[in-house]
Amino acid sequence: MTRYVLRRLLGAVPLVLGIATIIFFVVNLAPGDPTVYMMTPGMSSEVVEQLRVNYGLDQPVHVRYVKWVAAMLTGDFGYSFSYSRPVLDVLLDFLPNTLILSACALALAFLVGIVLGTIQAVKQYSGLDSTLSVVLLFFYSMPSFWLALMLILMFSLMARNVWGWPIYFPASGITSTDYDFLSSGAQIVDRGRHLFLPAMSLALVLAAGIARYMRGSMLEVIRQDFVRTARAKGLPERSVVFKHALRNALIPVITLVGLYIPVLFSGTVFIELIFAWPGMGRAIVEAITQRDYPLVMAASFFFAIMVVLANLLADVLYAVVDPRIRYE
Amino acid sequence: MKKLFAFGLVGLAAACGGDEAGGPVSFSDPFCDDVIPRVQTWVAEQREANPVPDDPRYGGTAVLGSIGEIAQGLNVASSSDYSSVQHQMFVGLMTLIDYDEDIQPRPYLAESWEVSEDGTELTFRLRDDVYWHDGERTDAEDVAFTYRMVTNPETAFPNAAFWDYYVRGPEGVEVLDEFTVRVHLQPHSEFLNAWSTVAILPEHLLGDVAPTEIAQHPYGTVCPVGNGPFVFASHAPQDRWVFEANPGFPEGLGGRPFLDRYIYRVIPEPTTLLTELLTENIDVYLAPSPDQAARILDAEHLELHSFLFRNYVMVAWNGRRPQLADARVRRALTMGTNRQEIVEAILQGYGSVAHTSVPPFHWAFDPDIDGLQHDPEGAAALLEQAGWVDRDGDGVRENAVGDRLSISVKYNQGNQIRQDIAEIMQAQLAGIGVEIQPQVVEWGTLLQQINTPDLRDFDGVVMGWVTEFRLDDTDLFHSGRIDEPYAWAGTENPELDRLLDRLAVETDRDVAAPLWEEYQEALIEEQPYTFFYFSERLDAWNRRVHDVVMDQRGEWVNVREWYIDPGSR
Repeated sequence: MTRYVLRRLLGAVPLVLGIATIIFFVVNLAPGDPTVYMMTPGMSSEVVEQLRVNYGLDQPVHVRYVKWVAAMLTGDFGYSFSYSRPVLDVLLDFLPNTLILSACALALAFLVGIVLGTIQAVKQYSGLDSTLSVVLLFFYSMPSFWLALMLILMFSLMARNVWGWPIYFPASGITSTDYDFLSSGAQIVDRGRHLFLPAMSLALVLAAGIARYMRGSMLEVIRQDFVRTARAKGLPERSVVFKHALRNALIPVITLVGLYIPVLFSGTVFIELIFAWPGMGRAIVEAITQRDYPLVMAASFFFAIMVVLANLLADVLYAVVDPRIRYE
Repeated sequence: MKKLFAFGLVGLAAACGGDEAGGPVSFSDPFCDDVIPRVQTWVAEQREANPVPDDPRYGGTAVLGSIGEIAQGLNVASSSDYSSVQHQMFVGLMTLIDYDEDIQPRPYLAESWEVSEDGTELTFRLRDDVYWHDGERTDAEDVAFTYRMVTNPETAFPNAAFWDYYVRGPEGVEVLDEFTVRVHLQPHSEFLNAWSTVAILPEHLLGDVAPTEIAQHPYGTVCPVGNGPFVFASHAPQDRWVFEANPGFPEGLGGRPFLDRYIYRVIPEPTTLLTELLTENIDVYLAPSPDQAARILDAEHLELHSFLFRNYVMVAWNGRRPQLADARVRRALTMGTNRQEIVEAILQGYGSVAHTSVPPFHWAFDPDIDGLQHDPEGAAALLEQAGWVDRDGDGVRENAVGDRLSISVKYNQGNQIRQDIAEIMQAQLAGIGVEIQPQVVEWGTLLQQINTPDLRDFDGVVMGWVTEFRLDDTDLFHSGRIDEPYAWAGTENPELDRLLDRLAVETDRDVAAPLWEEYQEALIEEQPYTFFYFSERLDAWNRRVHDVVMDQRGEWVNVREWYIDPGSR
């Protein structure tokens, strides 16, 4: 197993470098460069040229590529044009916000998906099953940015201004503006309130899919001989479902974790925009429009690594939960 | 295995409620590590020395929401974007002069100024009670340093046109004594304008920075040290800027601002911004779109304010293209478009039709000017005169050799208003036999296509300009600048050249006014652009914030006088 993981990790190195190379050339060959955003009337061509020199853009692309790779291998990702700071520092500002949002959304999605899928399988063909199927299909077919706007409308605007609920959820940001003056307990509540809507927007759509998988997997397991045996032994239904069936039904669902992580990252771009969540998705889109080459490169590099790792995680999880699968 | 999985879920759930990650990671930079504690010490001392006056207006936090970052922060040397420049002028830093309600210069950091008889020497006398937020006094060396920095070509200061008539570089400025500084210039109109926009930078902190590196210095957005009414407290990128009242702001300028804190939040989605304003999570919504106005007017706790802004939207016609080289064709395109309808439909009336680049509130504006009116028949006649006739009956005019009058109009992706304009033009001009093809292009790509002198890959492009108070269209329409980035129209008109040359150096408004009238007429005749409108800028705020003034000078012009209703803090 360890050998397998090591081999996969080594194999990922050329893959990630290849991705980085392709992104480097695509980004650098796109029309325009950072200086077009800084130009104003009265700026002569010489000034623009001077700007290019100041930003190191006067050198040909292949020279910049070699320099970039050499610097990156020593851990130096360069300087962000738009944030006037080292790229790594910029990433460290944004990355934790994205990770916390994605992790919560993922946890929420699996929790809701597994619970609902199990209920549906146990109560197959009941009214509850059909209702949940319709509701889940509703969320599954909804684009997450639309869901996000609807959640804002209901849980923020209507909840506070129309229905007067005692608790409502703020529509933007990660903390309130008076966060620094709150007690630490209130700070956690504050963060939770800000996290709720964006995490729900991401999670509900994913949960709908997971519930479908879970329902199918559970139905398959519930018909197997060992479950029938358990029932024949006279075990209570609760114990049959949760102790015997659920364990085995979870196997294919768990491996979805690895597959959903990349999906989640692309989903966060819209969600971060709508909820003004200062995360990687927004940083990278902003960096692309401003042709902040170093930041685009570093951010996509990190995303590439995460996707590769997520895929590896999916494969490893598969072997971990299913003893029949062996990697040599 | 089940245990491991369950543990994983619990772990994640704990992290969700937890407090470890998120928020700005503390950033270590030698420059910032050095200045931040000094600023904290000074602010604490000043709080001690200047207790908050006994007046209910002092206190509270105002939160402003906007779709974009303060991109360059307080880095004067690299800024041209509106939010950055405004925060430099009115929040964190100080300009030598500012403008009153009638756009007349008045003392700010400079308590007085003098121009020599021949108009070549401008001497400023600075206040002696303005301190940088780390405790150093602001003096003439700071002014001289800033001047040398922004006029040095290596800095690549974006608004270089400010210094067109100044003697650039070290020879252009001399320090006469600690608080007196003199700059050298050629006589020209509105010579003071640059000093109302370009704020002064601290020489003692940035004096050693090479001009080529100033744009990337952490001073701008990581740890700016100002001397203005608000002290920079923190900045989380793409999230918020926090400023605190400067307890040591000179008494002569009103002393400490009323607000304890002023927070700028970045919220990129307009719908979210509106929600946050309605739910009172932000106090000020900067520049809501006209289609949100009705919603804001409905809310009793909100105030909607509008003022005619210095910004106009137009279609620039590339006169280098054969079908657009004739001014009659360009006039016909304008006359064939119902611009009043566009203002009504797209801006919900929040704007006024523009005929030239001179804003209606400016002294140079000629109120008697007629401009081109919506007149499809007249437009058709002009096209006929110019030789464009529908010869094959397909509904689109051709010239004598059979080229169709087909014009592409580009606009930048994601700008709904500009897309609407291109599409309305397409529909209206089809009626007079002109085929308009709207074409969407990504912003950076579009800028490159239209700004690169040997490319100019466009027929027409929907764009907008924000004018300065010192009007100068030389870069746009003077034939001498035809190979510079902004000569989109490629105008070569001796009459316009002559007027632009005169207007740039005419110092007497009484002499300049009739010249401006001539200029506006010549511009209408030439029609390098189809001018659409000067938009009214909208701003909305919660009525708990009092004494907010927002006008042509900007949204932050009196931020130091805003105060929060004591009952609603």
